[in-house]
Amino acid sequence: MRDKYEPMVNTLNKYLDEILPNYWYNIVPDLPKPLPPPIDPPENSSRIELLQQILPKEILKQQFTIDRFVKIPDEVKEKYGVLGRPTPLYRAKALERFLDTPATIYFKFEGALPTGSHKVNTAVPQVFYAHTEGVDHVTTETGAGQWGAAVALAAALYGVKATVFMVKASYDQKPGRRALMEFYGAEVVASPSKLTKIGVEIVERNPRHPGSLGIAISEAIEYALENGYRYVMGSVLDVVLMHQSVIGLETMKQLELIGEEPDVLVACVGGGSNFGGFVYPFIGLKSSKKMEFVAAASAEVPKFSKGWYKYDYPDTAGLLPLLKMITLGKDFVPPPIYSGGLRYHGLAPSLSILIAEGIVKWVEYKESDILEAARIFAKTQGIVPAPESAHAIKAVIDIALQAKKNSEKKVIVFNLSGHGLLDIENYRSMMLRYQKQ
Amino acid sequence: MKLLTAYFTLGYPSPSMFTKLLKAAEDSGVDIVELGIPPRFAKYDGPLIRRSYEHVNRLGMDHWQLLKEARRSISIPIVVLTYLEEWVKNFTSFVDKVHEIGVDSILLPDLLIDYVDVFEEYFENAKRVGLTLFTSPSMPDKLIMRVSSLSKLFLYYGIRPTTGVPIPVDPTTLVRRIRSLVKNKLIVGFGLSLNDIADVLKAGADGIAVGSVLIQAINDGGVESVTKLLKELRGVIDGV
Ligand SMILES: Cc1ncc(COP(=O)(O)O)c(C=O)c1O
Repeated sequence: MRDKYEPMVNTLNKYLDEILPNYWYNIVPDLPKPLPPPIDPPENSSRIELLQQILPKEILKQQFTIDRFVKIPDEVKEKYGVLGRPTPLYRAKALERFLDTPATIYFKFEGALPTGSHKVNTAVPQVFYAHTEGVDHVTTETGAGQWGAAVALAAALYGVKATVFMVKASYDQKPGRRALMEFYGAEVVASPSKLTKIGVEIVERNPRHPGSLGIAISEAIEYALENGYRYVMGSVLDVVLMHQSVIGLETMKQLELIGEEPDVLVACVGGGSNFGGFVYPFIGLKSSKKMEFVAAASAEVPKFSKGWYKYDYPDTAGLLPLLKMITLGKDFVPPPIYSGGLRYHGLAPSLSILIAEGIVKWVEYKESDILEAARIFAKTQGIVPAPESAHAIKAVIDIALQAKKNSEKKVIVFNLSGHGLLDIENYRSMMLRYQKQ
Repeated sequence: MKLLTAYFTLGYPSPSMFTKLLKAAEDSGVDIVELGIPPRFAKYDGPLIRRSYEHVNRLGMDHWQLLKEARRSISIPIVVLTYLEEWVKNFTSFVDKVHEIGVDSILLPDLLIDYVDVFEEYFENAKRVGLTLFTSPSMPDKLIMRVSSLSKLFLYYGIRPTTGVPIPVDPTTLVRRIRSLVKNKLIVGFGLSLNDIADVLKAGADGIAVGSVLIQAINDGGVESVTKLLKELRGVIDGV
C-alpha cells in the first residue's frame, strides 16, 4: 500500500473524499472520568447565564449537547475544502536521516492552511454559526496573531466584521500578523486597550503592561457584551477541541491508507486545541494498540510542572464560568516569550483530566531549546515551524533520539500546528538573545 | 406511566407553605419529591434555586424537623438532595439521621464528579437508605453504564450544566445517547422547559424532574400556581 500512496500534498482526488471527515469527534463520552461541569462563582451573577449573550447559540448548543459524533454542516465542509483540507501528512525523512534514528517520523502539516495554522478549523464553524444567527460583528483575542488571523479570514469569508484584541507584547513583536489581520479586513486593537473597563483598569495600574491572553479574552468578551456582538473563542472550550478533531480524523485515515499505526503522538499545548484535535481521535477511537501521547508545553509558562488542577476562570476578569482545569491562575502574566500561542494560564478541561490521569504525558521546554529544534527542522525539512509547533518538534527529536539509543523502530506522528514564516523576525531576535549567552 | 418528579427547597418559602406545597404536589399527581437541603455552595444550581437557599438560610430553619414533617405529611417517595461536599466529614451520621426520618433515598449531584474514585465507599456507607445517582452528559458512557442499575428508584440525568438556566441544548440527542446504556428508570432534569418535556420523553426517558420552574411558580403565586403548573405537567406527560 505504501508504494501506491505516499502521503503528500497532491493527494489523489478519490482519496480526498475518504480523508475529509463528515463528523467532528467529541472525546467527552470516552474520557476516563466525568468532565467536571463549568460552575458559577458562589457570589455574583450567573456566568453560565451570561454565556448566552457571549457565544453564538449553536456553539453553546454544541458545547453542552455532548455527543460522540457531530455532523459537520455542508457549508463548513465546503469551506474546509476551499481552504485546503485535508492538509498533507508528510514523512520527515530528512529529519530521520539527520537524527540517524530507526524511528519513522510523520507530521500533519496544519501550516498548509492559508493563515498558517490549525486555528481556522474552528474559526470557520464559529463564524458560520454566528453569521447564520444574524450576527454581523464578532470579537476575539489573539496572542501571536494566529488565531486572530484565522478569525479575520473566517469573518471575511462570511462578510462579518471582526475586532481582534491582540496581546500588547505580540502586537509590538509581530507587526506581520497584525498586517495580515488588517489585510483580511479585521480591526486590530492592542490589549490592554482603552475600549473596555478591564483594559482601562489594567493600564491605569501599569501603563506598560505587556498584556496576556487572559486579559485579551476578557476585553473581547466585554466588548461583545457592550455592543451586542458575539465572541469567538480560540481554544480551551470542548467545542473548539471538537472542531479541531478534523486534524486527527484525517491523520487516522491518511495513516490507514499507508498501512501505518503510530506508537507515539505529539503536539504542542497552549490551551490544548491542536493537541486535542490531533490526538483525541486516537485516544478515544483506537483502543487496539498501545500508544503514547505527549503534550509539549513551554517551560516559561509551566502549567504542567507548577500549575494546579482546580476550578479557575478562563479569563482574567472572570466573565466566563469557572472551569476545572490545570492552571497557573487567571492573573498569571507570562514572560514575553515569542510563542504567543502558548502564553496562556489554563488548559482545556478534557486535556487536564487526561494529564491528571496519566494518559497523556507532558514535557516542557525552554525557548532556547525550541529555537534549536526549529532550526534543525528548517534545515532538514525546509519548513520554518511556528515557535509553538517547535515545542512539538523538540519533543519528537528527543523521542527519536531515545529510540535510537534503544534501537526501537517507533512510529512517531506529530502535529505541525503552524508555519513560522511570519515569526521569522522573532526567530532572529531569539538567535540574538540566545547565541550571545 | 411516565414519572413526574418535583423538586422543592426544604422550608421554602416558609415552613407552613412548604408543607402545603408538598401536599399539593402529591395531590396533583407528582410521583416522587426531591427535597433540597441548602448547602454552603450550591455548585450546580442556577440563580433561582440559589436564591431559595439564601432565603431559607436567612430564616434559619431546622432541616431535620422539616424533613420529619415532610415525611409525615406525604406518602410518595422522598429523595433528599444535597451535595456530598457538605457532609463528607460526617457522612455516616448524616445517613443515620436521614434513615431515622424514613426518607426513601439520597441524591448527591457531586458524588460521581468530585468523588468518582471513591464513590463505591459512599455507596456502601449509604446502603441503609440507598442512593439515587446523578449523571450528566459530561460523564463517560462506561461510567453511566456501570452505575445505572445501582441507582435507587431511578437514575437522574441532568441535561444542562446548571439548574434553571435555559442554555440551549438538544435534549433528544442527549437522551438518545444514554438511553441504551441505562438499565433503570431514567429521569431527566436540569433546566427543563415545557418545550423540552415532550422531546425528552419521546427520546426514551421514563420521566422528568422539575425544580426551577416550581420555585418560579412559588414566587409568582404560591400553592395555587404550583398546583396549576403540576397538573399541567402531569397532563403533558400523560399525553406523550
Ligand atoms: C501555531 C500554533 N500552535 C499552537 C498554538 C497553541 O494553541 P492550542 O494549544 O490551542 O493549539 C497556537 C496558538 O495560538 C498556534 O498559533
